[in-house]
Amino acid sequence: MRDHPTSDRRGAAMRDHPTSDRRGMATHDHPTPALHDHGDHPMTRPDDPATPAAAPERPVSASKRPASAPERPAEIPPRTTARRAPGGSARRGPADPVKSLLHHHRDLCERAVDPLEIAAGLEAHGLTDRTAARYRHRDVFALAEELYARMPPRAREPVGAGPPGPGPDTEARAAWTLLALLPGAACLATAGVLRVTEGLLGDGTRALVTVVGAVLACLALRACLGRGPLRAPEGAGRAGMYGCWLLSYAVYGEELLAQVMTGGPDGPWDGTPAPLLGLTAAVAPAAWCAHLFTVQAHRRLSGSRALEEFGAGVRPLLLAAVTLFLGALLPLLHLAGLGLGGGGTPVGAVALGVLFFVARLLAAHGLPEPGTVALAAACAVEAGAPALVLAARLPGLEPLARPVDALVSAGGTGAVSALACGGAALGLLLHAALALSRASAHTRT
Amino acid sequence: MRIGLLTDGGYPYATGESRLWCDRLVRGLPQHEFDLFALSRSAHQEDQGWVRLPHQVSRVRTAPLWTPEDGTLRGSGERGLLARLVTGGEQSYGRRDRNRFTEGLTALATAICTPDEAGTAAGTGPGAELFTEGLYGLAELARERGGLHLALRSETTVRILEAASRARGTGRTVQGATVPDHLASAAELERALRPLSLDWYDQESLGAVDLCHAASGGAAALPGLLAKRFFGVPLLVTEHGVPLRAHFLAASDASYGTPVRALLAGFHGRLATEVYRQAAIVTPGNTHVRRWQQRCGADPAKQRTVYPGMAAERFGPVGEDAERFGTAGEGDGAGGPDTLVWVGRIEPAKDLIALLHAFAEVRRTEPGGQLRIFGAPAEGDEAATYLAHCKALAAQLFPGEATGAHAGGVSPVTFEEIGGPEGPDLAEAYGAGGVIVLSSVVEGFPVSLVEAMFCGRATVSTDVGAVVEVIGGTGLVVPPRNPKALADACVALLRDPERRARLGAAARARALELFTVEQNLAAFGGIYLELISHTPVRREADTVDAHGDPLPFATPPEARLLGHWTQPGPHLRPPPGPGQPVGVAAVPSRAAVSGGRLPDRPGEPEPQHMREPEPEPEGVCAVAAGPAGGGDA
Repeated sequence: MRDHPTSDRRGAAMRDHPTSDRRGMATHDHPTPALHDHGDHPMTRPDDPATPAAAPERPVSASKRPASAPERPAEIPPRTTARRAPGGSARRGPADPVKSLLHHHRDLCERAVDPLEIAAGLEAHGLTDRTAARYRHRDVFALAEELYARMPPRAREPVGAGPPGPGPDTEARAAWTLLALLPGAACLATAGVLRVTEGLLGDGTRALVTVVGAVLACLALRACLGRGPLRAPEGAGRAGMYGCWLLSYAVYGEELLAQVMTGGPDGPWDGTPAPLLGLTAAVAPAAWCAHLFTVQAHRRLSGSRALEEFGAGVRPLLLAAVTLFLGALLPLLHLAGLGLGGGGTPVGAVALGVLFFVARLLAAHGLPEPGTVALAAACAVEAGAPALVLAARLPGLEPLARPVDALVSAGGTGAVSALACGGAALGLLLHAALALSRASAHTRT
Repeated sequence: MRIGLLTDGGYPYATGESRLWCDRLVRGLPQHEFDLFALSRSAHQEDQGWVRLPHQVSRVRTAPLWTPEDGTLRGSGERGLLARLVTGGEQSYGRRDRNRFTEGLTALATAICTPDEAGTAAGTGPGAELFTEGLYGLAELARERGGLHLALRSETTVRILEAASRARGTGRTVQGATVPDHLASAAELERALRPLSLDWYDQESLGAVDLCHAASGGAAALPGLLAKRFFGVPLLVTEHGVPLRAHFLAASDASYGTPVRALLAGFHGRLATEVYRQAAIVTPGNTHVRRWQQRCGADPAKQRTVYPGMAAERFGPVGEDAERFGTAGEGDGAGGPDTLVWVGRIEPAKDLIALLHAFAEVRRTEPGGQLRIFGAPAEGDEAATYLAHCKALAAQLFPGEATGAHAGGVSPVTFEEIGGPEGPDLAEAYGAGGVIVLSSVVEGFPVSLVEAMFCGRATVSTDVGAVVEVIGGTGLVVPPRNPKALADACVALLRDPERRARLGAAARARALELFTVEQNLAAFGGIYLELISHTPVRREADTVDAHGDPLPFATPPEARLLGHWTQPGPHLRPPPGPGQPVGVAAVPSRAAVSGGRLPDRPGEPEPQHMREPEPEPEGVCAVAAGPAGGGDA
């Protein structure tokens, strides 16, 4: 019942079709002859997909040769002509209209992962079942299936040729590097002020300077952990609390333990601020090591085909990052020790630095819990040592102090923190070698 | 009756998709109670608020399908420290739940990685069964234990996806997936399966409704599927567009690699098939959607095309004028019979360029012709650029022509804005023209064409989308991208007022018959009643009184019958052919018979039901040997 007044003029109309703006369809509407001279079929002008099926006559003037009319859709057995030998049939006209269609929509067909995707794309280009009948198909789906089947095996895009990641963002990098330098700078400034004003200011003022310096360093640390490669997307839980405890122990712990073991605690004790200075100065190298690890891991991720392969590639990266950090931490701690008279490089501070670094690296990859647990374990050991010594004073509980005594006699008071932090850091490193070699840990950027 | 209306980025939100239709449905069927279950698409949508809800809506449950800015989902920190450490920071499931998860996801991943063999009808291959097994396995796990979204982001998921993509029989594209592809697939899968983790699946929420009506397929229908699975609530799916098709069109812009797109296509295809299989009735909005649904495995026996309803009242005066005065456009004299009118949103898919070229052709034969283009305010850069482009082309094709020595130059083409301060309203716009033109190259359900039909206007439209089934012979149809054909059709109508009037009247009659709100509401009201009568939800709680004693007559006797007792029994069916093995083959033959008879008996339930095992008859009419078991020899 369709009123179709113009069906017999369509042929002429096709060629008058202006194509000034067609949303990328311009080339489809007016294919150049050269595009269709490929192949061995006697190709005439390909059928325009926009022309309906029920055409009583073909555009004779177009092909300059008599072309037979396509049959009515109902009479067409689907998918019979596609594999027809060229010239083996009495029908004349475009031997393989589907081929030209394939050529028109090459992009669509190459990209498609499903025949239905081709069908959707063809419909979005205005193809209907009625036009599909021109290609001797029952409907668009059948046509799309033929197109999908005839598409040659897709040339895979080379691995890693996806959209290149954002280029090195130098500005952001400079920003977080600067921020990462701040805690160390604050500590250094405080230490310098204290050194310069030694004897000039009263104890109260010096304490005030210390507190101000500590607050500044804390603020700077907070700022630099909030962005850049050390940012933990899911927060770090109670790690901050444990970290504070560990740092305090690094400063005051040895002295405390020594006093407790000799019958104290009796009176105020002096801290050893050198580890604090060294560790805060190591924040910047830590940020850079974490950044390098993340970048390298991402590079490896985009290049790997299998999860095992990726995991095997990431583990050395992690070790390299930790080694690099260690390489930066040791001289810093040594320098700080020299400057503040701490006497050499305390092993405990080195272990603490590595523990912090690995815990933060895990948190930055969305795994804050293991780091928190490791920090808590180190805290427990460090708190346990003086507690055991104190408990041993109770009658009958003397054996409790024995392990601590043995440890201290073997390695000095620093051995407790070295054991606590070293053990925790080693355990955490092993865990990280497993956890960070999982691809799912690297989904966040 | 309580209807659970499931929407995805739709109704109660002020910026929702199909909110007008849902609103009319809810207001138009006041005898039913509606519970809204809405999934929101973005934070922006949630910020825009809701439309005003009528009193029929007794409850609204919403849930986000989007990820917040910081990427954390609700509940990601609810696990214990040690638990997460012990399980490798992955999931808090115990060993048994972990096995369930692995089994479910493996089945799902295998199903979506492995395309059906060529020639298999959708929904019949082994892949469909694997998919259902995996989907419902995961759904049950999520309902009982929660935490599915965390498990789906874990390494286990990535490993399962990798193993599934490397398995035998998977497609070529999927086999070449790299680790980033697997990660992207896992993330997308987690997003797609988010409806499984909703807290809607209890006796008070989806268990309490009598019927689930999904306002679209895809994500909105997923809760309906689970409600059917868990509570036996019948599912009705209405689709005005095909979600699978929309997915393909949208996915071509996405930046994912081919393997990810193949995997997602597999998932959405399988999901669509499962939705169509489980739905008691599927109501496509037009024949085009219907064809896609059939392609994806919808049983034609379950499909009822329900055209979207449109408010005809505001076009009433114009349409009645057209009827009274015979020739369209002569009643008010404002437009005149020589005027062509185009109404719609100005965007590239409408192909106004072709319309302008066609009009140039019209002007050659009909120098007095006018073209008035009424556009809705343009949104977005692309639309604005296109509008400017069209205006430039119009100025180039029709430089201002002075009608006389003293008159200024007037272009025969005008661009006007609907809803502007001095602009006309929609009905006036249609009334201004003798012939309404639709020149789109892509069109779903052509709203402006239906409006023109309401106004009793003769139309010329391009053969795209649902145009042909909408117009149904009451207007002219030309091929798309063919300005010459468009021009010829317009000229033919412009020269023939008689024909114009005839076509216009026929169009108006057709539109009033098919595309009004009333027919839409009547159709859905009927479908609701039909569904509830065929598949009533029986709850144990309804059959006992406060003391736990059975209530008399709470369970009608026919509830115990096998199959549908109003249908002819097995003795009335044609016997199986002589060569046919009795048993398995008997059921397909039955299916074929009812399938062939269905077009003229739309009320008949699908044969699928006949094969489902029914509860034991318990003595009541046990002789009515149902087709359960298929041994109807």
